[in-house]
Amino acid sequence: MKGILYMVEHDFRNFFRYKWWLVGLISMNLADLFIMAIVYNNMLAEAVKDQIKNYFNFFAPGLAVTGLFASAFMIGREINMERRREVHHYMLSLPMTRWELAIGRVLSGGLRGMLYMMPLLFTCFFFVGFPSILQFLMILGVLFLLAVGISGLSIAIAVSTSSLEKFITARGLVYYTLFFCSSVFYPLSLIQSLGAEGKFPAVLVTLAEMNPLSNASDMIRSFLLPGFAPFVYTSIFNVVSFSLFFTLLAVFAYIKVIERK
Amino acid sequence: MNKILLVVERDVRLFFQYKFLIIMRAIWFVSQIALFGLIASRMISVPNVDYFRYYVAGLSIMTLYSAAIFIGFDIYEEAEHGVFEYLLSLPVSRRQLVLGRSIGGGLRSFIYVGPLIALSLYVIGTVNPLNFLVSLFALFLFAFGVSGFSITMAVTIKSSDRFDILMGVLDALIVRLSTAMYPLAIVQATNPLYGSVASLNPVTFASDLFRWGTNIITLDNPLLPLLGIIAFFSFFTFVGIIIYDRRIEGGGWQ
Repeated sequence: MKGILYMVEHDFRNFFRYKWWLVGLISMNLADLFIMAIVYNNMLAEAVKDQIKNYFNFFAPGLAVTGLFASAFMIGREINMERRREVHHYMLSLPMTRWELAIGRVLSGGLRGMLYMMPLLFTCFFFVGFPSILQFLMILGVLFLLAVGISGLSIAIAVSTSSLEKFITARGLVYYTLFFCSSVFYPLSLIQSLGAEGKFPAVLVTLAEMNPLSNASDMIRSFLLPGFAPFVYTSIFNVVSFSLFFTLLAVFAYIKVIERK
Repeated sequence: MNKILLVVERDVRLFFQYKFLIIMRAIWFVSQIALFGLIASRMISVPNVDYFRYYVAGLSIMTLYSAAIFIGFDIYEEAEHGVFEYLLSLPVSRRQLVLGRSIGGGLRSFIYVGPLIALSLYVIGTVNPLNFLVSLFALFLFAFGVSGFSITMAVTIKSSDRFDILMGVLDALIVRLSTAMYPLAIVQATNPLYGSVASLNPVTFASDLFRWGTNIITLDNPLLPLLGIIAFFSFFTFVGIIIYDRRIEGGGWQ
């Protein structure tokens, strides 16, 4: 347990070394919210306006999830770099078990995502409305699971790619597929209607429906936006499955790769 | 002239070494069209405008901008690895070096964006040949101007961390406070301050001219955005040369 805490501390210290990158990321996120979302609000089609009322309020929860994703994914870049520079040999020499090492990395990636996402989530609450205590705890719980799952996904990609370029390319593919095939930017019903018309592949429609980013964004919306589709517990199941799968995958892959000669 | 061409050639070659970065940008471009553009065009309604075509044209300009900005990161890479001193020792004058770099930065981004623009033209459909050639010329100048801007910022700041953050913030603001994603009238109606910034933004000039060239919008006077781009290009290419000339020596890179 102590080993896990040491790894979390190590990764948090590393996280704050990227302070300039974080400022850049947060300014981009805020520009999306306070410029793009406000302008888009004046361009909504009538049918969409009837459904979501206000794009700024609709997008704010999605933005918190976007920020969570980007920051939780950062751990992969560090692990990929450690692998290329063979820093993992030093890691293996530390007085902790392989399990502590691997679980610590996945957990710290998730916690860093949570830390980065908090100001965005509170900005969302400030402008859109505050949830009840129970809803707030539920939001934190689901977002934490999501962050750990994303961290696991990122680590799994990082240890299975041999160069930074390959990691960046794989990250790009995952980023854009998960972001754009989700309800982060637009209501899920739009993707479903395009799918029903045969203009969007059915597999991507299913991905959007099961996408944990959609589930997390829609859960926050269902708590904050009056008239939004009510919260369904099955969405938690999707997030838990995603988190469990990628955490286990990352832990096993990380242990296997760092022990490889 | 020959020496400038050598500098241009070097920068173009250097860019195509980043093949994975190029692939990633291409993936971003295609996924923006096939996923975000397609779905967002269902969500957005602008009178007399097909938002899908509108967005695809704006996307080409955003990609051109981000590819042209990349030269500034190359400069830091060179400073970090000591290549800067090597460049300074070459039998090329400082002015030839910066002019070559500015042209090289613009040219390589244009070469890179060329196939993506061809793809966007396939999606957009018909073009007015004469207007399109004028808009293409404007995009050339825009790409050179952005490269000059990136070089000017890089040699003025001399700190890769600060440059990284500044470019991130500027990218966020310049692209969003422009007509790359939405028409100027709507930006102005949303917030007059946003509208004022957008109406003077070179990304707006480039986006509007490209859309004019591809028959997506009509412009009352296309000369105005063209003059705006020429002014932007001239300022950051020629003022950039002077700043680069003064800042290039003396170290101090962080």
